[in-house]
Amino acid sequence: MARPKSSEPELRRSVTPWGSFSWGYSDVGADIFVGLGLVLAWAAGASNVAFLFAGVVYVCIGLAYTELAATYPVAGGGQYFVMRGLGDIFGFIAGWAVLLDFTIDVTLFAWTSVDYTSQLVPSLVNSTHPWLHFVVVLGLVLGLCLLNVIGVRESTAFNGVVSALDVLSESAILCLGFLFAFRPQLLIHTMQMHWPTPYQLMLGTSLAIISFVGLESISQAAQETQRPASVIPRTSVALILTILIFALAYSNLALGLQPWHPITDAGGHPMQFWQIFPHNADNQGKAVALLAAQVPIYGAFAALYVPVLGAVLLLISSNSGVFGSSRIAYAMSTSNLLPSVFQRVNRRYRTPMISIVFFSIIAIVELIFAAAPGLFPQVSVLYTRFFHGENGLEFLADLYAFGAATSYSFVFLGLIGLRLTDPLSPRKFKIPLNIPMRFRGERVDFPVIAVLGFLGIFSILMFTLRTHALGRIFGPTWLVLGILAYLLYRRHRRLPLLRSEKRNWRTEQAEILRRAGELELMDEYIANVKASDARRAETTTT
Amino acid sequence: MLLVRGMLAVAMVALGGVILTRMLALVPAGRLTVIPGVVLGAAMIALGVHRLALIARARGTP
Repeated sequence: MARPKSSEPELRRSVTPWGSFSWGYSDVGADIFVGLGLVLAWAAGASNVAFLFAGVVYVCIGLAYTELAATYPVAGGGQYFVMRGLGDIFGFIAGWAVLLDFTIDVTLFAWTSVDYTSQLVPSLVNSTHPWLHFVVVLGLVLGLCLLNVIGVRESTAFNGVVSALDVLSESAILCLGFLFAFRPQLLIHTMQMHWPTPYQLMLGTSLAIISFVGLESISQAAQETQRPASVIPRTSVALILTILIFALAYSNLALGLQPWHPITDAGGHPMQFWQIFPHNADNQGKAVALLAAQVPIYGAFAALYVPVLGAVLLLISSNSGVFGSSRIAYAMSTSNLLPSVFQRVNRRYRTPMISIVFFSIIAIVELIFAAAPGLFPQVSVLYTRFFHGENGLEFLADLYAFGAATSYSFVFLGLIGLRLTDPLSPRKFKIPLNIPMRFRGERVDFPVIAVLGFLGIFSILMFTLRTHALGRIFGPTWLVLGILAYLLYRRHRRLPLLRSEKRNWRTEQAEILRRAGELELMDEYIANVKASDARRAETTTT
Repeated sequence: MLLVRGMLAVAMVALGGVILTRMLALVPAGRLTVIPGVVLGAAMIALGVHRLALIARARGTP
């Protein structure tokens, strides 16, 4: 097979193993800062169970992304894997769901970044100063949009420093919290006395998945990582376990925490720590900072720096939403899933300006929907009447959970599809627990974990649709509008509407591995292809 | 750097052990409710041991 040469400029492969870890961590690691308060508010005494269920599903998702990103190290992420495994239209749906998540990511993380800052600057508290809160979040979104347009990207080195500080900080909080403030008896008592209703547990579990969103960054980083097939599995496994442990640790600690300072309600009655979250959106938006402040002695110091560290980490994550949405749109556009306008690069700044501005506008529309009930009392009445009175943070979390559950469901199906249709690509990392079988004359490994993961994430998608009053309206509406636009575009371009374009995946795979610098894997792939062709020719002759 | 990472890994194993022991002591009273805490302790030990193994490999010791 010929090795095609490309004259197009390629991304520089400068991301090291630690860079790859910190890239993922700055994206996924920030999620617990958002998810913890929301889950404690709804799942109450079963918050740790909600995190455990979502965490098990997340491990399956993480393993799936690790295998796919190491096998296909391209910057398309989930949509690329699904397009290749299931076809164009499913690739579009998965990519469109990821784009919803990225736009929500921009708003949600900018919102919570301001919430964490409000711990030190009370005039930014949303419930008392909704207009100032709104203006600051809007300013952050516009600022990130501008920075991305003029081409100031987040630096891997800066991400690395913030990630290292955060890992150290969270480790210190959890170590000291578990050693000096954790009461196992209190945890058991809380779980037994404050077990939620099935509806609340479903809602809490669907919110827990937002603490594990952002694995797209693994595949996004793949195209810029040195020797991705070797590096990605190593860093991903560490990333997956670190995030899982933090989420489980925070939820268990929050339920069994003996607060350093007594917490009382309006009537002066003592409360447990987790009880400050239900019906209090201000507290939900800065849960980690509130928990850190309750660790004996160390809490006095943590109360000062955790809000700042959290705000910075959340802002980095918000920026990854602006950057990631434009990159996903670019990748979808090159595959004819979106119009070519999303590939257009600004001559002056050499950035995909149209893409960045378009998705930033969507993020601002979502911000307006989220902030409206706090800004206008009439809208608040409307939300109370039709949408269970959801607050801004819950609105954003609803859509975030919907987008994540939808795209991850398709990624599992894409993985199964690729295992069946592309058994020749060398997989340096393969998810364990496979059933060997034959499919279309080739020996394939059917992934059991992918089926279990699909069932888990699909159940979370069903929980989301059942329990999220706004998510079940706006999420499917986003998908339906996207599919209509996709069909119109494909019709306009005279491309197959429901079927896929013909592509030479063999040539593309060899080129992907060549660009990744995985020349041994490329040679192995070419040898596999030749052996397969020879087998088929032999079978046809006999 | 390896020393710091090694110390963190040892701390993680130790903390995981403390959590696991304290949760297992409550099995008679808590029954199934101890599961999330037990999983947390076990996961911490697993990650700590995994990282120690990686560090040992990086230092070239068996």
